[in-house]
Amino acid sequence: MSATRDEMAAERAESIRMIRESAAGIAPRGGDRKRIRALRFQAPGFDRAVWRQIGEQGWIGLHVPEEQGGAGLGLSEFCAIAEEMGAALAPEPLVPGALSAALLAAGGAEAPLTKLLAGESYVVTAWQEAPGTLEAPGTEGAPRRFLPLAGGADAFLVPVREGGRLALYLQPAAGADLALEKTQDGGFFGTLRPAGGERVLADAGTALATALDEAALGTAAYLLGVMDQAFALTLDYLRTRQQFNRPIGSFQALQHRAADLKIQLALSRASVESAAALLDMPGTPPATRRAAVSRAKARASDAAMLITRQAIQLHGGIGYTDEADIGLYLRKAMVLANQFGPAALHRRRFAAEAREDEA
Amino acid sequence: MTDLNALSDEDFRAEVRRFLEREYPQELRNPPHRLHMDEGRPWFEKLKAKGWVAPGWPREHGGLGLDAAKQIALIEEYERYGVARLPDHGVVMLGPLLIRFGTEDQRQRFLPKILSGEHVWCQGYSEPGAGSDLASLRTEAVLEGDHYVVNGQKIWTTLATDANWIFCLVRTDKSGKKQEGISFLLIDMTSPGVTVRPIINLGLHDEFCEVFFDNVRVPRENLVGEPNKGWSMAKALLGFERIFLGSPRQSGYAMGRLKLLAERMGVFDEPDFQDRYTRLRLDLEDHKALYETFVAMLRRGETLGPDVSMLKLHQSELFQRITELMLEIAGENAGLLEPMEGNRDLHPAGQFIEARPTTIYGGSSEIQRGILAKNVLELPG
Repeated sequence: MSATRDEMAAERAESIRMIRESAAGIAPRGGDRKRIRALRFQAPGFDRAVWRQIGEQGWIGLHVPEEQGGAGLGLSEFCAIAEEMGAALAPEPLVPGALSAALLAAGGAEAPLTKLLAGESYVVTAWQEAPGTLEAPGTEGAPRRFLPLAGGADAFLVPVREGGRLALYLQPAAGADLALEKTQDGGFFGTLRPAGGERVLADAGTALATALDEAALGTAAYLLGVMDQAFALTLDYLRTRQQFNRPIGSFQALQHRAADLKIQLALSRASVESAAALLDMPGTPPATRRAAVSRAKARASDAAMLITRQAIQLHGGIGYTDEADIGLYLRKAMVLANQFGPAALHRRRFAAEAREDEA
Repeated sequence: MTDLNALSDEDFRAEVRRFLEREYPQELRNPPHRLHMDEGRPWFEKLKAKGWVAPGWPREHGGLGLDAAKQIALIEEYERYGVARLPDHGVVMLGPLLIRFGTEDQRQRFLPKILSGEHVWCQGYSEPGAGSDLASLRTEAVLEGDHYVVNGQKIWTTLATDANWIFCLVRTDKSGKKQEGISFLLIDMTSPGVTVRPIINLGLHDEFCEVFFDNVRVPRENLVGEPNKGWSMAKALLGFERIFLGSPRQSGYAMGRLKLLAERMGVFDEPDFQDRYTRLRLDLEDHKALYETFVAMLRRGETLGPDVSMLKLHQSELFQRITELMLEIAGENAGLLEPMEGNRDLHPAGQFIEARPTTIYGGSSEIQRGILAKNVLELPG
């Protein structure tokens, strides 16, 4: 039995490795930083042509069932792609797009789902009403905030509370009341005043909660890529920058710091990958799933901020210039660390869910 | 002029507050980035009219001669009111250096012009290859008759675009130990051959610059102290810088913004936040107490030892921890490029980024820790 399980695990690992490799064309490790810089602060903050390529690769629907036009793969595969996107600092909204795809699939909204999966459209789920939350209250008429790269949206999916249930409306972006704010990474947050649209799902509560958890995990994976690449750049700098007639990486204080950062990076990877594996395993109880997501997001948020902050410190003065690429990683971490729940929220949730688990 | 030192702490603070309420330009309260001189000029003129440009200088040189406690009180009142920091290298760095090491002629030439604002100074220390290892600097000054001819490049020169004078460390002797061939030179930036290039920083602001020297001729009498003895003076100046950078001003200001943000985010009364907030408050209070002991030493005319590194190290890292907590509680606002709701006081991301370089400039935290270990604790190696 264990041989079969090992074989299955090896097969899975190989498929994840291949998916990772396939990412290199669109999201090269270390990033196409010239492309990233050209897109900064220019609405909509990402490249629609690259979004289409991402659709053609099947990444937006990676976790959507095959019978609905997706690839039917697991979250382990999705997280591998999200991590590669993070390592490349690719601004295209994979995680928010996949969140909307999961909801459109749950609602059986075939036509908009097909377009979204192909990367021909970008649908933003307008669930959030307050900062730093994972709850979607669905307050009718209330502004929906922090919508990622909303300037590029073709439609919004708006949860609205109707009686005891959360219905989901698909509202076209054309004519929508939308305001944009710039974010540190060169992107935009939108604030939408929702109005009407077509109801695509009468009871979206469970689907939305699940999809938000998967988005939190996907964000943790993206942050893993960000910190991994920031750390790699920093190690290069420690090896090459000379002061006092030696590479600064030869100083023990900096060696020890780098070693500590490596531990946080390794913990983040283990946390994200084990959480994805738990979610992929059939029969994992809901509380265990939620606890695993929270564990991964809390770790990834804190570790990404720590590593990107230290990356600036270890680069010294040059790290504080806009022309040095290392700052791009810090800015990305600043935007994503609190998205889909800040670390403190996930710690609270972990404590609550893990207790439930033990009982 | 009233003897401010004779006032009670309460009366002195009341005097400062009256002055700020009457004279401080409202549009300059809590600016989102360091002010350029032309932006801060209206406030400078008020300070000048009041005779308050140089609170720490002795009165015989045109300063206020404030005692330690009063200097702290002044900083606290400025910080409470959101008073902007002006380009201040002349007041904070060069003035004290000239008072201590300059010739009478140099004091008369330069001190009054710092106070009048005619001269705006910047500091030319770091170079691309000489950051933490400052003594390896290579900008060269060669004596030709009555002039030094300067060639080389400085970097991280704060607000060099605003300055018309720069005090520089230059190499005047390449033969001996690297610390022994360095001199301290005052250079008129309007001289032919000086070029300034601004560097856009992480806050997307042009606070730092590169300064290039191409055969710049500098009169011999602009050398401060003795030739090749600039390193020890520069180190004394770094002491002034460390006590300035170790002042509780940045952290105190940030604590006020943290409280405001926490209230706005609705977490201020949460026990977890209160615990973390109070820890930071205690760090700040104890920092002020420590800072006061160093300022008192200066006022007694004592030379600061290498232990002043503690101040700069602790203050800069405290400032960073405060802004890190801001990001943690700000939710998605942590990622905004501009202040929240158009309120400059609610800008966690901006404050966080502003705090980043404080552990890098003025001697990085790594350098300060090394100084404490070697020169204060006298550990081997």
